[in-house]
Amino acid sequence: MELLIAQTITGVALGALYALFGIGFGLVAATMGILNAAQGCYASFGALAGLFAADQLNLPLPLSLLAGMGFAALVAVAVDQVGFQPLRRRGGGMLGALIVSVAVWVMLDSLLGVATRQPGRSFPEDSYPHAVLRLGIVQVPAMQIVAVLCLVLVAVGVSRVVTGTRLGAAMRAVGFNAAAAGLSGVNARLIAMVTAGLGGAAAGLAGVLAGITSADVGVALGHGLMLKGVAAVAVGGPGNVRGTVLAGLGLGLLEAVGGRYLAGGFGDVAGGALLLVFLLLRAREAPGFAGLTRA
Amino acid sequence: MDGLGDLWAAYEGTFGLAMVNAMFALACYATLAAGMLSFAAVIFGAAGGFLGVQLVLHTALPLGAVMLASGLAGLAVALALGAVLVRLDGKWLALASLALVMAMREVVLRVPALTGGANGLSVPVRLPLGWLALTLFVVMIGYRGLFHSWYGIATRVQRDDPTVAAGLGVDIGRMRLVAFGVSGFTGGVAGVLLALLLQFVSPDTFYVHLAFTTIAAVVLGGSYHWLGPVVGAGVFTVLPMLFQWLLPDVQDVAEGAVLLLAMIFLPRGLVDPRVLLMHLTVAQATRSRDRSG
Repeated sequence: MELLIAQTITGVALGALYALFGIGFGLVAATMGILNAAQGCYASFGALAGLFAADQLNLPLPLSLLAGMGFAALVAVAVDQVGFQPLRRRGGGMLGALIVSVAVWVMLDSLLGVATRQPGRSFPEDSYPHAVLRLGIVQVPAMQIVAVLCLVLVAVGVSRVVTGTRLGAAMRAVGFNAAAAGLSGVNARLIAMVTAGLGGAAAGLAGVLAGITSADVGVALGHGLMLKGVAAVAVGGPGNVRGTVLAGLGLGLLEAVGGRYLAGGFGDVAGGALLLVFLLLRAREAPGFAGLTRA
Repeated sequence: MDGLGDLWAAYEGTFGLAMVNAMFALACYATLAAGMLSFAAVIFGAAGGFLGVQLVLHTALPLGAVMLASGLAGLAVALALGAVLVRLDGKWLALASLALVMAMREVVLRVPALTGGANGLSVPVRLPLGWLALTLFVVMIGYRGLFHSWYGIATRVQRDDPTVAAGLGVDIGRMRLVAFGVSGFTGGVAGVLLALLLQFVSPDTFYVHLAFTTIAAVVLGGSYHWLGPVVGAGVFTVLPMLFQWLLPDVQDVAEGAVLLLAMIFLPRGLVDPRVLLMHLTVAQATRSRDRSG
């Protein structure tokens, strides 16, 4: 029983990372129609920046988290302006954007590979709290609480911004129809940059948090987050913060609790399979099937 | 003459790799020409590759039979995945296939009996380049036939406008599944050829980088004519070698940049029938004007 509770808590903390990543990915997908395959690299870059802040500059945890978010956001905005802006200006299909994002992914992964030549980079022991909270019979490591707290802050913050501010209204307008939004005075390019930055920051935050618990901060970290985060978005729906959070937590729980019954390490496979199953269930039917519409 | 022989010896491997990449690019083109961006050719390649290597290692089948079996393995996987994937909206299809490539690596790692696990499998058989060239030639003839067939025309129509295609009585779901089947067979054969060419397969052989090279070759070459992927694969095999020599540290960055630039400045690729047709029409018009004037 205690083991199950402990695993549940671990699962929630793990799921919080997937949900964090998913919120960023979904925000970009809903506002700009881009499924950005390079989003996982932003997480790796964020983790690396956080590691640099904690290891070289000896900054406390909150500042390391901010450093990771800031750097990832910077990379995301740069990629958006260099890679995606030309496609938007030409008005090309968003399949092209996906190809561009794969190109960016390969480039960033390669740069990361150069930056992390020697394996086994991990956060120094004294850079994050190790305290274990005792709540009755269960013990909760402090970092898991930090992860969940971060998720709550980001989820509430993002849904507040999207539904309750002028910025959010502009983002939704661009997501619905960028040309029409531009006609009614929204600076679509600025909104794209802000959205990319927010998405990158969320990925970076997830990256630093995942990096703290991982023994090797590098390329693989982003890949793992990407796979599960995208699954969470596919289940929850892009732009649907609540759905993404629930799906991410569910995925984390499944991995932590189910991991006991599955042969170890099948988490990624389960993530991939789940992604496919849910995409199918929620499939926006391809043109030519039932959903055929014409203006 | 000796110099030419040396040159051939030095670049024989590159030439073989270009041909295998062309096969993978054609497999990817089969789905992209039907309007579906899919990275699944890599998965079909893995199915064909690992099965083919097992057959080579444990049976005495001739090479042709092994290739056929690999193609059929790719076809089976493609039809199974395709039945699911064709129902998805374009962007999600692409992303789902990418996620499947990532998840597949974990599966491959977990069944070492079939795949050799993380260490991979060595193949003691050497692939004669003549075989490779012949196979590519046959596949290209096949794609040319498909391109000019009713199937090819229907595929292009439904890529440009699914509504018109459906109105003309084209069964879009079936067309797309056929596209996956073609992709699967080609990918399966390409997989075993790659394995035999490298004389080694591992989970990393069929991973994101192959998916990237494949899609880059199709985008650069053009997905509107069957010759596009072949040309693109040639360029995208030579280019990395060049970068390896010029910029060894950031070779992948340079490759990514090429794909990015191709996407921005050459969105229809190098081989574009529309441009060719335009040139032909202009040339014809000039000629007839000269004749009359």
